[in-house]
Amino acid sequence: MISQNVLHRPLRTFITVLAVAVEVTLVIIVVGLTSGLLLESAKRTEGVGADIMVQPPSASVFMAFGGAPMPIAIADKLRQLEYVQAVAPVLVQFNSVNGLDIVYGIVPETFRAVSGGFVFHSGHDLQDPNDILIDDVYSRSKKVRVNQTLHILEHDFHVAGIVEHGKGARLFVLMPTLQEMAGARDKASIFYVKCDRPDHTPAVADEIRDLLPKYEVRPLKDFLTLMTSSNLPGLAAFINVMIGIAVAIGFLVIFLSMYTTIIERTREIGVLKSLGASKSYIVQIVLSETTLLCFAGVIGGVGLSYLMRAIFIRLFPSLTILITPGWIARAGLIAILGGLLGASYPAWMASRKDPVEALSYE
Amino acid sequence: MEPILKTENLWKIYRTGKVDVPALRGVDIQILPGEFVSIMGPSGCGKSTMLHVIGGLAQATRGKVLLDGNDLTTMTDAARTMLRRHKVGFVFQRFNLLPTLDAYHNIVLAQHIRADGFDPHRFDVVADLLGITSRLKHKPSEMSGGEQQRVAIARAIVCEPKIVLADEPTGNLDTKSSEAVLNLLASLNKDLGQTIVMITHNPEAAAYGHRVLHMRDGLVVDGATVH
Repeated sequence: MISQNVLHRPLRTFITVLAVAVEVTLVIIVVGLTSGLLLESAKRTEGVGADIMVQPPSASVFMAFGGAPMPIAIADKLRQLEYVQAVAPVLVQFNSVNGLDIVYGIVPETFRAVSGGFVFHSGHDLQDPNDILIDDVYSRSKKVRVNQTLHILEHDFHVAGIVEHGKGARLFVLMPTLQEMAGARDKASIFYVKCDRPDHTPAVADEIRDLLPKYEVRPLKDFLTLMTSSNLPGLAAFINVMIGIAVAIGFLVIFLSMYTTIIERTREIGVLKSLGASKSYIVQIVLSETTLLCFAGVIGGVGLSYLMRAIFIRLFPSLTILITPGWIARAGLIAILGGLLGASYPAWMASRKDPVEALSYE
Repeated sequence: MEPILKTENLWKIYRTGKVDVPALRGVDIQILPGEFVSIMGPSGCGKSTMLHVIGGLAQATRGKVLLDGNDLTTMTDAARTMLRRHKVGFVFQRFNLLPTLDAYHNIVLAQHIRADGFDPHRFDVVADLLGITSRLKHKPSEMSGGEQQRVAIARAIVCEPKIVLADEPTGNLDTKSSEAVLNLLASLNKDLGQTIVMITHNPEAAAYGHRVLHMRDGLVVDGATVH
């Protein structure tokens, strides 16, 4: 009876299933985008090859949110610490033209000393103040080649080389150029510290904490675990709001769909009651139909999420959308619970109908 | 013999705004097991109301309704639901089959609600008796009125109720189909001993019963007791 009822109004069923699918897709894609962005950013930061990252007091782990308040002279003090092999100061700027990108201002020699140097696909290292290095992902997604001009941060850069991705950012310019553009002369946003041996990392971190009390000193071994939405200002709230909107869509569509179904089937409810169907039996029928619709919506939503991810990645190759089984399950559960909540009032209304009035309903 | 159904000073009063409208005004009837009783009367005399009250669909305002020894007037809504499930079968003028289900599932639905599980033997007996075996896979929209009413009767009796309450079962049928349905009800009564209470406007239909109750203004004016 449940499946027959659901199939009786195919258009309404389709719209309801579609709404639940959109709800599930919204949750999966929003969470996938944010966690993908964080994971990808974390992996690139780890890929710098440093053991420790030093940031200003109360700096976010999401470095694009940081400014450039640290004197670059700190790098010299760090180099003098025991077990420190190399220190690379980096100035970070956030570019929002033609996408969202982090730009690293680097000193090639020090950055090379920490990271082991770039792997060049084509072109050469930074030489001229207007030179820029881009990674291969950026090159593919924006279709930028060596020797082209790249306009970012209100400035025309000459693409000097294309490098393998995974070294902190996708765009690299000379630090003095970026300092000049940002009005942050002799300032740096981050110091990447390389120890002479990985097992000296805790000792060096302690030394830095003694030297620079209140500064954020983060061993990069733990960086991936720090890059979660809860560590980013407002991101957890943003995700919750998006999930809330998705749940509201599912709730309202299911509510409306089941409400109209109950009104339409008033006489049938009267018949069921005349046959001796209890209130719980009628509630169970309504909620079973809802569950069936939600299940179909969840399956559709998961498929739609993968389709959306494929489309997004085709359009924006630098995007990372992380779809995990855990969040698929959570999105499904959210959709089903929201749907059942939306159907609960119509189900209660159906169970309370007077059988005589229901049987005479036209 | 103890009556299967007995009412004592049965009242049903509807409240419309601030006005009380009595639909039943002290009805006393007795129906014995195996009887086929017709109820006649003009529109608005309280026939359908009485059927709803004695079938447990509506609560009486006062008085007593004893169905197979159970007093419906003291029962909760849930208890009356259980009683309908196990002891009452309804047949309606407009058939009231579920349009999304075929004939088979419309009949099985009654067994499903009763939660005794599917009884294939009882189902086959009923389907054969009502001559609907070849129509079981058809939905109501694919059947004639007469066929739909036969399916509705099958649904009403498949759980072996103590009493079948039929509310103008031939009201929506042509003469030939009406005759077939009435013959079926008569044969159910005769062959299976099924107790039937049938409301009708038609004296010819009423004549199929052993006894005819006449109602007027919420009262049974003739035929209330067994002779």
